[in-house]
Parts: sequence; structure tokens; C-alpha cells
Amino acid sequence: MTRALDLAESALHAAEGDEAEVLVHAERSGVARFAASIVHQPTLVDDAQIRMRIVRDGKVGWASTNRAEGLDELARRAGEAADQARPDPDFPGLAPPADYEAVSGHDPETAELGPDDQARLAGEAIAAAGEFGLYGYFTSALTQIALASSTGLRADQELTDAAVLSLAATEGASGWAEHTSWRVSDLDPAAVTEEATSKAARTRDAKEIEPGTYAAVLEPYAVAELLRWFSYDSLGAQGFIEERSYFCDRIGETVFDEKVTLADNALDPVNFPKSFDFEGTPRRRVELIENGVARGVVWDRMTAARAGDGHESTGHAPPEDWRYFGPLPTSFDLAPGDAASVDELAEQIGDGIYVTRLHYLGIIDSRGGVLTGMTRDGTFRIRDGKVAEPLVNLRFTVPMGDVLGEVPGLTRDRMLVNLNELYGERFPYGALVPSLATTKFQITGTGSGPGL
Amino acid sequence: MDAALGAGATYADARAVSLRRQSVITKNGQLDDLSDTESEGIGVRVLVDGAWGFAGIGRLDDSAARDTALRATAFARAASGRHRTALAPVDAQTGEYRTPLERDPFSVPLSDKIDLCLRAEEGMKHADVKVTVAMVRAQREHKVLVSSEGTNVEQEIYESGGGIDAYASAGDVSQIRSYPSQHSGVSVQGGWELVERLNLDGEAPRVGEQAAALLLAPECPAGRTTVVLSPEQAIMQVHESVGHPTELDRVYGTEAAYAGTSFLSPNDLGSLRYGSEQMNITADSTTPEGLGTFAFDDEGVPARREAIVEAGVLRGFLSSRETAEQLGAGAGGSMRADGWGRMPLVRMTNLHLEPGEGSFEELLADIDDGLYLETNKSWSIDDKRLNFQFGTQIAWEIKNGRLGRMLRDATYTGVTPLFWAKLDRVAGPEEWKLFGLTNCGKGQPGQSAHVSHGASHARFRDVEVGVST
Repeated sequence: MTRALDLAESALHAAEGDEAEVLVHAERSGVARFAASIVHQPTLVDDAQIRMRIVRDGKVGWASTNRAEGLDELARRAGEAADQARPDPDFPGLAPPADYEAVSGHDPETAELGPDDQARLAGEAIAAAGEFGLYGYFTSALTQIALASSTGLRADQELTDAAVLSLAATEGASGWAEHTSWRVSDLDPAAVTEEATSKAARTRDAKEIEPGTYAAVLEPYAVAELLRWFSYDSLGAQGFIEERSYFCDRIGETVFDEKVTLADNALDPVNFPKSFDFEGTPRRRVELIENGVARGVVWDRMTAARAGDGHESTGHAPPEDWRYFGPLPTSFDLAPGDAASVDELAEQIGDGIYVTRLHYLGIIDSRGGVLTGMTRDGTFRIRDGKVAEPLVNLRFTVPMGDVLGEVPGLTRDRMLVNLNELYGERFPYGALVPSLATTKFQITGTGSGPGL
Repeated sequence: MDAALGAGATYADARAVSLRRQSVITKNGQLDDLSDTESEGIGVRVLVDGAWGFAGIGRLDDSAARDTALRATAFARAASGRHRTALAPVDAQTGEYRTPLERDPFSVPLSDKIDLCLRAEEGMKHADVKVTVAMVRAQREHKVLVSSEGTNVEQEIYESGGGIDAYASAGDVSQIRSYPSQHSGVSVQGGWELVERLNLDGEAPRVGEQAAALLLAPECPAGRTTVVLSPEQAIMQVHESVGHPTELDRVYGTEAAYAGTSFLSPNDLGSLRYGSEQMNITADSTTPEGLGTFAFDDEGVPARREAIVEAGVLRGFLSSRETAEQLGAGAGGSMRADGWGRMPLVRMTNLHLEPGEGSFEELLADIDDGLYLETNKSWSIDDKRLNFQFGTQIAWEIKNGRLGRMLRDATYTGVTPLFWAKLDRVAGPEEWKLFGLTNCGKGQPGQSAHVSHGASHARFRDVEVGVST
């Protein structure tokens, strides 16, 4: 039993209601953040948040605290909230006990990393930066998530995660790389920096291009970010039942190129494997798009109950910080193609642009699946099937139906892209995606050049 | 602090923070979320041989505080790089501050908050409105800051807020209308009386009707035209294209890996033409009801009001003691941390577009053909804060000096100094409104800042609108 489950059970004893559930989300993390090759914002966090949900007469109240000595007070606040709430006829009750699939995702070496190690590994990344200043971080954490409820449900899991982010930059040049894993031994900070510096070295003297529709090769960083932003309204049940999703009235229809197959697979040991969601429902693989056909979205217990019609939770109840968005995919799995490299994808499109990563996306039209944002830290022209001169940062405004509508190819190799921006409580998640070629990527403006 | 100094720190500060947040969200006539969160802990920041270290722990007791100070010191000692951090001198501060308020928002029964939300939702009902949402929130942050330079300040800050959204859809069209702004409404520093002043249930029928009407409205055409931004959209423009680029840590590159840098350089101070002569931007951490109002920032620097842009010329940066020392000007005053577990960063406090003259109607009067853009819907801007694109929930044609047809899916785009150069009039103080945002992201690990902005209606000539995909 983890410390977190022990705490959850203690809190459950303090709860008074028809039903009660306690979630403990504990974190011990370190971020050695650096800029201009100097660690300037090193942050260590040690915390355990305890969230209690009490049900009385069909009414649900929530409260949370990080005061382990304040469990009676927590129970009082949650009970008061339940007393003053209104009954919700759709409330499906708390999750029943379940058998969970054994998953990996905890690495003792990663869990044990302390500030000296985090600073040392940041230093390894910095030392490889050569002529460039290095901006980014090394981070690692141990996260514990535990649930105990009056239904008899008991669940606990320890997750580790580590990431190296390297932005190699100087005036007029910048390149980006980030690698992540639940095992620190998978990461080579110097190699991450070398990927960034080799990209940065090719971005000097960036040129502008005319706005218009271009074919494009998108690196995994860019693909993951597009999927993440597309998912907010389109791949979760809340956007779906509230009619904001691109998938509304399209389930079962061919919406994208047949090469596009997307799942959410929290059980995959190559991602950040998780055995249960934040309600204690077992995680499972969910098919979202199969050979271009829209198959479904992800659900939690509440959205499934509200929708009725045979829907059930797919194990995607969100952490507290995301409850506003409802259930969302957190383990994207985009099927690979057969291209040997991004160079082969460039050959396939012949003429277009090459995009390393994206910045500051926004949703222009949720139902239409239209996103905007900027390219950044490695944008190039593709001419005659080869990656050619560097470009300034480009504003794109793209319907996802276009981006994924005609996909000449995807790479065989995939990478796990970190999607956790480290807000709120630690919750590692990522996207396992290949590079992707598209025939349509709308550029609607130009911005500043690469670099500082 | 004593433990950090004993372990070799040359500077140390410690913030003990106790935070409570409560929110009520109703959706489609049901209670969607009722949360009551508290978190307390201590964050210790140290300088060791010129290198920063920071550690936070979610406990408030002596042993946790000492252990955290030692961890922060160890992290600083292990940090890579040639560290030469120096801080602009600031006198040691002592004092207390508490938000003036009439009614503690936590004293209002949850059932009253739920009732208000449900009444507001009821008012938004319409056949084409598929989803209605109402939200109210309250926050109390009690914090004590002590530093090795003798600062010892205590502050208790209350926030209250609320908002409503109506989502309409028909066929392939989906539209949203919100009040008083999107992004979870608005918040102010103050008590429950400020939520009552929002009149959420009174505004609800208009919000529902406009959401439904947007389904039938034509799309905003593409082209170049005169635009008038509502105060709520003008403050988003200020936030993204003035606030963030004038954060001095971005100017010096320390946010390069996440939020980005800035098109400004330190040498631009006092000389760069940011916009037209009608552009006056002020940072003011003393604004009544502002979410960025305090007596002392999280480095203990006293609150003040200062010009950032005067008559279109860059006159100031938002700074910390460290970046002010680098610049050789100012003394910080904009350092804010998201709770006990994050290092303070240079953040906006309350950043305002100062009012000009005249009414909204007078602003419209000499526009033959243009657009009035109201309520932010989407926002995106590049890493140097130059190229931006905003979408608004609703737009209105302006024809011969008067508002005309409603339009949907309006967007406009531009490049920061070129856009602000086109500002030719700002309406007067009677049109000036204050908005509080709670979702300003920055930093690694990420931090959400609560900031306020005020603006009147603002008119810009020759703007690219209706970006075509």
C-alpha cells in the first residue's frame, strides 16, 4: 500500500454520508529550469492533496485540502457542500470496485532523483549546447494517486516521469527538442540538446513566404500539439454531448485520410501507463479514429450517464484541475505509417513547408475543427522534395479536416511527446505520434524570425 | 529563513501561504461542480553564491520549513552556470494589507450561490441554446513574507467573481455568448457585493438571445476596415500585446523555452514608438478591486502606479528586483507567485489602457464602414508578441456611424506596434471598465496569475479582419 492510499483510507474514515470517496494526489518533484545556459528557476515541490466527495440523499459535495491533520474539517466541508447541493438525477453513483490491469510506469531510479541529480542532468544538457544558449529544463517526479471509497473501491498507483527540454537559441536562430519517459535511463540530455542545436544551426537567415495553402511535413512535436488542441472540444464526451465537437453527427463516417488511425491508450508501456482514472474506473484503449473513420470520444461516468444511450465510462475521468473540460484523451496513440524518415515525407510532398513545433494555439471554430497558432524553432521550406531554406515563424489557421484529410504519409518511427506543462498537480501524460505529411496546411500570416 | 542562511545562503525569503478557493458551476439546470479547495504551505527562495534555489512544501510547521530551506539551498548549490544574480536595493518593509470588502464571499451560503447560478441559467433559455453555464467563485489568500533583509509583511486578499455562457448550435454551426466575459467570467478583488453588482440573472436573457441569433448571422467578411474593440476585447489586446512583451524577464530571455521572449529590447526604454499618441498604458498595483492589487509584491516591493507607454512611447517595463538591477532602472514590484509551491515570476499586476475622451456613440459617429468587435473568443500570438490573431464572440457592422447587422466568427490579425499605431481614439473615462482574468499562464512549472485590466472602447483604422481559411 502506498502512503497515498493509507492517507485516503484515513480520510474515508472521517467522511459521513450515504457514499464517500477520497482521492489523494501526491507529488514530489524537481524542475531545474535554465535560460542562457544558467539554471535560474530551480523548483522543488512536495505536496499531497486530499479530495473528498460525499453523497447525501443523491446530492454530491466536494472539498479538498493538503492538511493531513485536517481530515475531520475536510469531511465537514464536503458534507456541508453535499447538504446544500441539489440532487442530480443523472448522478451515476460512485465507481464500484474493479480489477485493474497491472501496468508499468514506476521506475525506482527516477523516483529517487533528488535536487543534485536534477541539477546534474540539467547540466549535461547545458554542456552540449556549444555556441548556443540553452533554454529549458530537466525535470523528474514521483506522483502517487490513490482512491478509496465506500463502495469498497481501492486503487493506488505510483507514476514516475522525467523530461529534458532543450531550446538552443541565439539571435536569429533557434531549435527545439524535448524527450520524455517514465524511466530516466531512457533519456540522454546531451543528445536532446544536440538535436536542438543541429536544428538551430539551420535556422539562420530565415525568409518570409506568402500566405496560402501549403503541403507540410509536421514533426511529432507539432502533430501532438494539434491533436491536444483538437481534443479539447472534439475528442472528449463533454464537447460531444454539448454539440461543440467536430465528431458530432459524424461518428461512423469517414472524416480523415484512411492512413489516420488514432486511439487513446493509457495502458501502453511506451506512454505513461496508468491503470485507473480519477474516479477509479479501469483505463482501457479507446479507438477515436480508425482508418479515417470517426469511431468515438472518451467518457467518464457523469458524461456517460448524462448521454445515456448505452454509453459507459471509458476510464477518462479527469484530474481536479481539468474538471471544467470533462473527460479528455491523455495517452494519444497515432498509428505509424511506412515512411523511413521525415526526408521521405518531404520527398512525398515535393514542395511545401517543414514544421518542427507549434506555439500558442487557439480554437477558432470548435464544430469546424479550426485551429490557429504559430510555428516556432525550426520552420523550413521544402523544395524539390528536400528540406531547404529556413522560414520565419508562420501563423497557421487550419481546419483539422484539411490537415488530416489527405495524408501522403507518416513515419514508421514514433516518439513520445510530453504534453504536461506542469500546471497544478503533477500528472504526466503524452502523445505517441509519428511525423506526418499533409497536403493542406493554411498559412495566414508571418511573424518574427527564429531565435531570441 | 534562518535555516537557509545557516546553510550558506546569502539571501533568503520565505512565504507562508494559506489559500482557499470555492467555486459553484451549474450547467443546464443542474449543479455541475461544487468545489471547495484549500492548500497551505511554505516556499523558500534562496541565493547561494549568486544562484537561485527554491523549494516548497505543503505543510506549515517548523521542521517542514527548515527541511524545505535546506532543500532549496542544496538545489541552488547544485545549479549549473556562472551565476551573478544581484538584486536592486529595496528598503526592508513591514506592514499589513487586507482587501476592503463588505461581505466575505465565504460567508455566503452555498445554496444562495447555487440559486443565483440557476436563476441566471433559467434566463438564458432559448430553443437553440443547447447548453447554459453559470459560475461564481471566491478565493482567499493569506500570506506572510519574510526576508533576510528584514522584510516582514502580511497580506490577506479576497477575490469574488462570476459569469455566464450560452452555447447555441444548429446544423454545423456552434456559437457561444458570454457575460461579462468568456474564460470563466470575471473576478475582482473584493467581497460578494461585487458578484451581486454583475447582475448575472439580469443580463442572462440578452446573452441567450444573442447566442441563438448568432446561428443565423452572416459570417464576418474578410478585408481591411476600421474596428472598434469593446472594453473586454481591448483588455485582451493590452494583455497579450503590451503586458507580456513588457515583462522584463521575457525581454531578457528567461521565458524563451515556454511563454516566449519579446520583440522589445532593454535599449527600447524611452525611445521605442509602441503605438499612436492616443496609446497610454499604465501598470497600477493600487487599482481598487484589481486582482493585481496588493501592498507588497512577493519580493516585498511596495505597490505603485507607473507608466508603461506614454503617448505611444515605451516608458517602463514590468520587473523584478533582479531584472531591474540588470536594466539599471526601477526596483521591481511585479513579482508574483502562484501559491506556496512556485517561485515568484515577473507578472502583470493591473495593466490599463488609459481612457481618452468621448462616448461610445461619438467613437462610432465618424465611421462610414467598420466593425464593432465584442467579447473575446480566441487568442493566439507569437513568441515575441508580434503577430497576433484574435476572435470575438460577436461582431456588428458599423454603417454611417451606427451599429448595424450582427456578424459571427469575427477574427482580426495584426503585428503589435503596427496595430497600435492605428489606434486613433479611445473613449472616455465614463466608458472605462475593469476586468479580472484568472488564467494567465507562464513559467515552468506552470503558474496561473490573476490580473486585471481596464479599458474603454478603442478604435483602430485599417485592420485586417475575417481571416480566411
